Amino acid sequence: MKILNNLAKTKFWQSVFRTKLPLSTNLDRSLVIFNSLTLHIHPVKVRLRAIKFSYTFYLGMISFFLFFVLIVTGVLLMLYYQPAIPHAYRNMKDLEYVVSNGSFLRNMHRWSAHLMVISVFLHMLRVFYKGAYKPPREFNWIIGIVLLVSTLLLSYTGYLLPYDQLSYWAVTVGTNIVQYIPVAGKEIRFLLLGGNEIGEYTLVRFYVLHCVVLPLVMILLIAFHFWRIRKDGGLL
Amino acid sequence: MEKNNSGMKKSNSENKINRRKFLISLGNTATGIVVLGGIGVTFEYLTPNVLLEIPKVFKIGPINSIQPNSVIFEPEQRTFVVREEQGSFYALSAVCTHLGCTTKWNDIGAAGNSAAVISCPCHGSLFNKYGEVLQGPAPRTLDKYRVQLEDDKLVINTGEKVSEDEMILKV
Repeated sequence: MKILNNLAKTKFWQSVFRTKLPLSTNLDRSLVIFNSLTLHIHPVKVRLRAIKFSYTFYLGMISFFLFFVLIVTGVLLMLYYQPAIPHAYRNMKDLEYVVSNGSFLRNMHRWSAHLMVISVFLHMLRVFYKGAYKPPREFNWIIGIVLLVSTLLLSYTGYLLPYDQLSYWAVTVGTNIVQYIPVAGKEIRFLLLGGNEIGEYTLVRFYVLHCVVLPLVMILLIAFHFWRIRKDGGLL
Repeated sequence: MEKNNSGMKKSNSENKINRRKFLISLGNTATGIVVLGGIGVTFEYLTPNVLLEIPKVFKIGPINSIQPNSVIFEPEQRTFVVREEQGSFYALSAVCTHLGCTTKWNDIGAAGNSAAVISCPCHGSLFNKYGEVLQGPAPRTLDKYRVQLEDDKLVINTGEKVSEDEMILKV
């Protein structure tokens, strides 16, 4: 404790952490939260029942945790994967059979993805049945819907990346469904595929959507989603 | 009357374009043009100009070497080229009209049909050998392509779809 107190008096500590130690008043304690970027996402007050497991089943937090696992494993998988046509399938095979712990990482990514779709869906059901979509939380519900759609799109774009028969035909079927959108269906399909058939461009487009565009959208919306929970009056 | 007059004056001065309003609308218009242009340019960028896709026209033959009552499947163009007994040819798209999977020609028939059928592995659509739907979910018949004779070879253009009356080439 004495060492910590001495450390807290150094210039280095004080330039990183604004709060003066030791803490003595309630104001000091709340300033710890207010002055920290990572901690201030917590609400000032939490109702006791809101932390009970049976209140939320922690579904939002489970989804967020799975998203975090997916980012970590996904970034590691990217290091052995090239989104090009002869390579993609072989890279996936290499990850499975050659790279140390590759199949562990790949399976972790795969299972987390499946679980995330399930947990996000259950989260939506929980919110729906508790009526937590009602004002003043209606906008956060909309953000949640966009997050659900983003989760499904991430699953779908990730599906093409192994570039095996299953991926190829799943994306053929999926992009043909897109074609049925009125007016702009054919154009959207062409833009998604980068051509008329699945090819090199499709793989790169899906790769960029899967690894850059959609995760960025997710991160921004998740941050906003959490912030809105506090602003709309806490968990319900 | 005075009140009315002053009211008129006020609304007049509100409608009047002063320097501030002019500059604001000029700025907004310029920003709008740049944003719209940016979206347009991005869409153009995302639409490839050169596609290394399989050519639409392909040749098959010589026709003497194609057996009567036989089917040739061209996997790249996803097309069935059929020769019937009388020496008539036609070309049928192998792309399922439901959601675009490649169908398979079954000479011995399938799913209770004794005649040749074309079946789709994705959602179980069935077609007869002229591409007519026997069983859904396919919503319409398979596409038929124009077949022409050039010297002794068949030229099939997958870019040119034809109706049932025009599909058969008699030789």
